[in-house]
Amino acid sequence: MHFDHSPLTLLALGCAAASAIILVGYLVLRPRLGAVTKVWLAFGLGVLPLVTAFAGNVQGFEATKKREFCGSCHVMIPHASDSDDPASTSLSSRHARNKFFGEVNCYACHADYGMFGTVITKLGGMRHVWLYYSEYRDTPLDEAKKAIHLLRPYPNDNCMQCHSTHAALWDRQPDHKSSLEDVRAGRVSCASAGCHGYAHPNFRPPEPAAHAELRP
Amino acid sequence: MTPAGHRRILSHACAWGLISLGLMVWSLFDPRPLPVIGAMSIGQVFGTISLASFLYVVVSDLRPGLKKALDEAGVSKRPLP
Ligand code: HEC
Ligand code: HEC
Repeated sequence: MHFDHSPLTLLALGCAAASAIILVGYLVLRPRLGAVTKVWLAFGLGVLPLVTAFAGNVQGFEATKKREFCGSCHVMIPHASDSDDPASTSLSSRHARNKFFGEVNCYACHADYGMFGTVITKLGGMRHVWLYYSEYRDTPLDEAKKAIHLLRPYPNDNCMQCHSTHAALWDRQPDHKSSLEDVRAGRVSCASAGCHGYAHPNFRPPEPAAHAELRP
Repeated sequence: MTPAGHRRILSHACAWGLISLGLMVWSLFDPRPLPVIGAMSIGQVFGTISLASFLYVVVSDLRPGLKKALDEAGVSKRPLP
């Protein structure tokens, strides 16, 4: 995966390098433990690593939102490469092209938007990493396609974070108009066969077989 | 604790600090799940251990001086209210 040249990364690396020089210097030179040495160590063990940790954590949180990150476990490659494909017409890929959240489209659609949503999403992500290394690491893709599904049905609320259902043009669309209450209450999924189709090619939510036939 | 003991603690602190920096730098160059999670968990714990050891040494070096200053000011002789 590629290295990100953002100013924060450079800051983190600069502080880490300066800190490492001080620490190695201490270990090699073994100076007397006077006030001067302690001030150096206060930078080498305190200030500089704290800046590195802070900048590194911010970068870490950003990195974990990227599609590239999601796609780094092989079982997510079909989802990620579909989004990368500019010719794909899948719902998820069509959300991967704008500058605002295109790079983080998986996160944009799959994050929990409730209170403490970020924390819950990250904890859920940790669970995925654990499951990956404990169960799915060697699972062939064909099997993964059948085995991997969402824990809960996809909530329309997530679509409605961006598509408010309160725009005049949207409301005028006959299917939106007739199913408005059901859509807002989550009784009809936006990403279902009769509506906008499934979000990902190849993968299907475990639903009654009848739905599969409806899909174009 | 003896000065030699303090130096030993600080050498360990430097080693823990270097491991923690190594983990954090690795995650920046290679932001995949394991390096990032490693840096943000194990890396932070090691870094905290190293900083805490340093603070322990600094505080315990300060204590005799502090006690002397308090004694001279008569604070410790004053009866408790
Ligand atoms: C437009 C919003 C959207 C985007 C963007 C999106 N998803 Fe989804 N995802 C869904 C919906 C909706 C479902 C529920 C099943 C369905 O409709 O396909 C789903 C289901 C899933 C599932 C469960 C298995 C399955 O396919 O049903 C996984 C895994 C998944 N998504 C991963 C990803 C990854 C990885 C990315 C980024 C490459 C991504 N998603 C991007 C909306 C999205
Ligand atoms: C993070 C905000 C966000 C979320 C979440 C989101 N969308 Fe979108 N959606 C957009 C934006 C922005 C566009 C326009 C994309 C573009 O033009 O590149 C769009 C476009 C669309 C389109 C039109 C695509 C086209 O080709 O014209 C549909 C349909 C759609 N979204 C449905 C959904 C559904 C269904 C969900 C939930 C599964 C969803 N969106 C979730 C922001 C979002």
